[in-house]
Amino acid sequence: MTQQLLAIGEKAVKTAERLGAEQAEVYLASARSFSVDVENSAIKSASERRDAGCGIRSVIGKRVGFAYVTTLLEKDIEEAAKNSVGLAKASVADPSFMSLPSSEERYPVVSGLYDRTIVSLQSEDAAELVIRAVDSAKAVLAGKKFAIEAQLSVSSGAKAIVSSQGISLSDQTTSATVYTYPTIKEEGEQTASYEFQISRHLKDIDPEWVGRSSSENAIHCLGGKTVEGGVMPVILTPLAVTTVIGGGFAGAINAEEVQFGRSYVSDAIGSRIASEELHIVDDGILKGGVGSRVFDAEGVPSQRTEILNGGVLKSLLHNSYTANKDRIKNTGNASRPSYAGTPSIASSNFMITPGKGTLDDLVSELKVGILCRNTGDRPNMTTGDLSAMVMEGFYIKDGEVKHPVKSTLVGINMRDLLQRIHRVGADTRATGTMVTPSIVVESAQVTSG
Amino acid sequence: MESLAKAAIDAAIKVGVAFSDVRIENTITTNIEMSDGITKRATMSRLKGAGIRALIDGAWAFGQCTDLTASGMRRTGESVAKLALATHERVAAKFGIEGKTFTDSVHLKVKRPFQDVSIEEKVGLAKMIDDQARGFDKRISNTRTTYADMWSELYVANSLGTAVHIENSLPRITCMATAKDGANRQRAYKSIGVRGGFEQMQTEPVQVLGEESSKLAVELLSSVAAKGGVHDVIMDPILNGVMVHEAFGHACEADNWPAHATVLEDKVGTKVGPESLNLSDDPTLVGQRGTFEYDWEGTKTRKRHLVKNGILTDLLHSLESSSRLGMELNGAARAQSFMYEPIPRMSNTFMERGDWEVDELIADTKQGVMLCDFNYGYTEPSKGQFMFQASHGYLIEKGELGQMVRDVSLAGQILDVLAKIDGIAKDFEMEAGTCGKNGQLVPDNSGGPHARIRGVPVGGM
Repeated sequence: MTQQLLAIGEKAVKTAERLGAEQAEVYLASARSFSVDVENSAIKSASERRDAGCGIRSVIGKRVGFAYVTTLLEKDIEEAAKNSVGLAKASVADPSFMSLPSSEERYPVVSGLYDRTIVSLQSEDAAELVIRAVDSAKAVLAGKKFAIEAQLSVSSGAKAIVSSQGISLSDQTTSATVYTYPTIKEEGEQTASYEFQISRHLKDIDPEWVGRSSSENAIHCLGGKTVEGGVMPVILTPLAVTTVIGGGFAGAINAEEVQFGRSYVSDAIGSRIASEELHIVDDGILKGGVGSRVFDAEGVPSQRTEILNGGVLKSLLHNSYTANKDRIKNTGNASRPSYAGTPSIASSNFMITPGKGTLDDLVSELKVGILCRNTGDRPNMTTGDLSAMVMEGFYIKDGEVKHPVKSTLVGINMRDLLQRIHRVGADTRATGTMVTPSIVVESAQVTSG
Repeated sequence: MESLAKAAIDAAIKVGVAFSDVRIENTITTNIEMSDGITKRATMSRLKGAGIRALIDGAWAFGQCTDLTASGMRRTGESVAKLALATHERVAAKFGIEGKTFTDSVHLKVKRPFQDVSIEEKVGLAKMIDDQARGFDKRISNTRTTYADMWSELYVANSLGTAVHIENSLPRITCMATAKDGANRQRAYKSIGVRGGFEQMQTEPVQVLGEESSKLAVELLSSVAAKGGVHDVIMDPILNGVMVHEAFGHACEADNWPAHATVLEDKVGTKVGPESLNLSDDPTLVGQRGTFEYDWEGTKTRKRHLVKNGILTDLLHSLESSSRLGMELNGAARAQSFMYEPIPRMSNTFMERGDWEVDELIADTKQGVMLCDFNYGYTEPSKGQFMFQASHGYLIEKGELGQMVRDVSLAGQILDVLAKIDGIAKDFEMEAGTCGKNGQLVPDNSGGPHARIRGVPVGGM
């Protein structure tokens, strides 16, 4: 498949050049994904998607246009090339645009990104896997009234980038995800929880663990109460860290947002913006990492970038545009939604270096506090203000988890949150975009009612 | 179109499934993002392909195909049907699809189709608004304006005999401004999205969108972070729409019933709020972003009275949910594109008007906070909780609006919140949005009048 994509790409670059592009870049992708869905504890549906398409970036002077199409047919690609050149011509020139990236001599070797067993997985085997997760979830809930939603999805895909600047790269990756989401109904109460795993390799998926853990979590959520608000410590477990830090901090060190003055982090390279306990690395070459890749979405080699060392900001996340604008080395963090978009900036594997202690240890150290297992909230990226609903969480008293909480919000500015992380645990897990342990925020405003 | 759809459906039925349907889509989009007066991103796309489903004894299978030839469609129809057959022995709930069939061809007439408007004119509009926002005040440090249009034609057919052609045309413009005063930085955004052609981008409100956005950003420089606590809250029309959408609309999507995944499961026909409360979802409104004549399964749409006089009355149905629950089909199945299965979704969702004057409602509130505009919101119907955030608001003291506050969040329980609504005003406004569910984004619209909720937790710093 990759050879075929490269050949189509070479041709498309020439088409864009013939139509007037001074530089052109073609991103092609072809993916197959397969999923099995469970509703009310039994299999409900299966779907198979084969998605192939092509996106073309054309440059004329300092003007850039982009167009894509959801096929790989020659006449559709010709139309996309024409549209991308037309858009470049109609654009207002960007004085900071220098060039599309050029080919590099060396690219890293990143192992563990492709699993043949995922490519050849049959629908029967997929159904079997998800049923194992559901059966494990059921076993924990025996005797209760419940309904389990679950899904197994696998995908495999090839992508290629070809450009007029000498880039001609391709790779193949796979991934597998399983989740279970049990809802429990009791007299006068209903609650739910979920658990999941994501990996590049099918063998890393443990459906029994996912099912069992999700049901145990759901049982723990029964009996939610409001609490007396006030200022208190908050423990964020890896899922909550992924939203708050993975979304709310990785997004703030996106160089494009910083350059435009839209981020609460600004001109801070070399300053201590976080607690000394906090070390963060963005590792695009982590073996088998869900966010790992040999090259980024513009064909720039992946790398390991130190972000925070002892709380000191070492680097922002860059793509070729922002790196050229700041005249510094590109960190290879260009990201795009497959062929259907222009490169923006995103973290690869955003990793918090583990400290010491299990989650139980962290809980035992608090006299009073909130354990936040999950939230859907991100901060206002300009002011840093965060007001997060505790989607799943617990009240801690005298070093013990007392009861689940409901209608409870945690409020804190991100600049304070980063400074107040006085404890980092060792309960590291991979959540898809992050590899992180739990962290403890020394104090935040808790509102409940 | 008809013959392609027939090729896939016939092939699927021949394999042995009980039901099959097809969506063939052809969509063109343009997206232009200007920042500080220069073109940051300019994108065009064409989505074309078909999504095919098959059902046997309660087992669904879905697949999609971009090879729009008779043989390509036949092949996909067969493989989808085989996938359904392979799964059906493991299915617990057996059901079939029943329901009315529809045949129609609706052509949407607009004054200025997007295809007839030059890229230069679209870039020019975005630049005008972006420049306007930046020129508003010297404290505006960054502007970002995005113009987006989508023209779409969709053909839906199924094995029961439905065959419907529909068209849609959705323009949207969004302007975000960042204001800076020393270390104090604030951002605000305003957006307008409707149904129609490019002429809808030449209206008075669109022409002043840049100013509106910058005005709010500058005002926010003198706001303070909200203080957390349990408060009486007055929602403005836009935020009320978000409340109706997040706190209630999602929980009314009928696919939650067979899945046992909503706290409203046992509440149909029962009282969920005060008698003065009426919540509706209406895809038949003229010229709105959430309007469509037929849904993505080819069912004719009608207004849904979700809550009527305080009673949960109607749900949002797909073919499957209406068949399984034995309730009337109402055209709420939507899909992001041909690449996805249609599922029950909202359209234009709102609270109906009440009888309070807005001024009276504020004057009647001794102490509280008024919440305006929205940043985002989300909900978890299984657990019965929701949360949404206003972009700004004003403290209410002794019945008067006072200090401006920002980023005010409100969390609550789906089953409690409606009962706490005790004042609904006479005014009405709606705002365009985009709603996500199961990984699918669809354009929508929500709103209502000003309304008051008593004693809800409001988050703060």
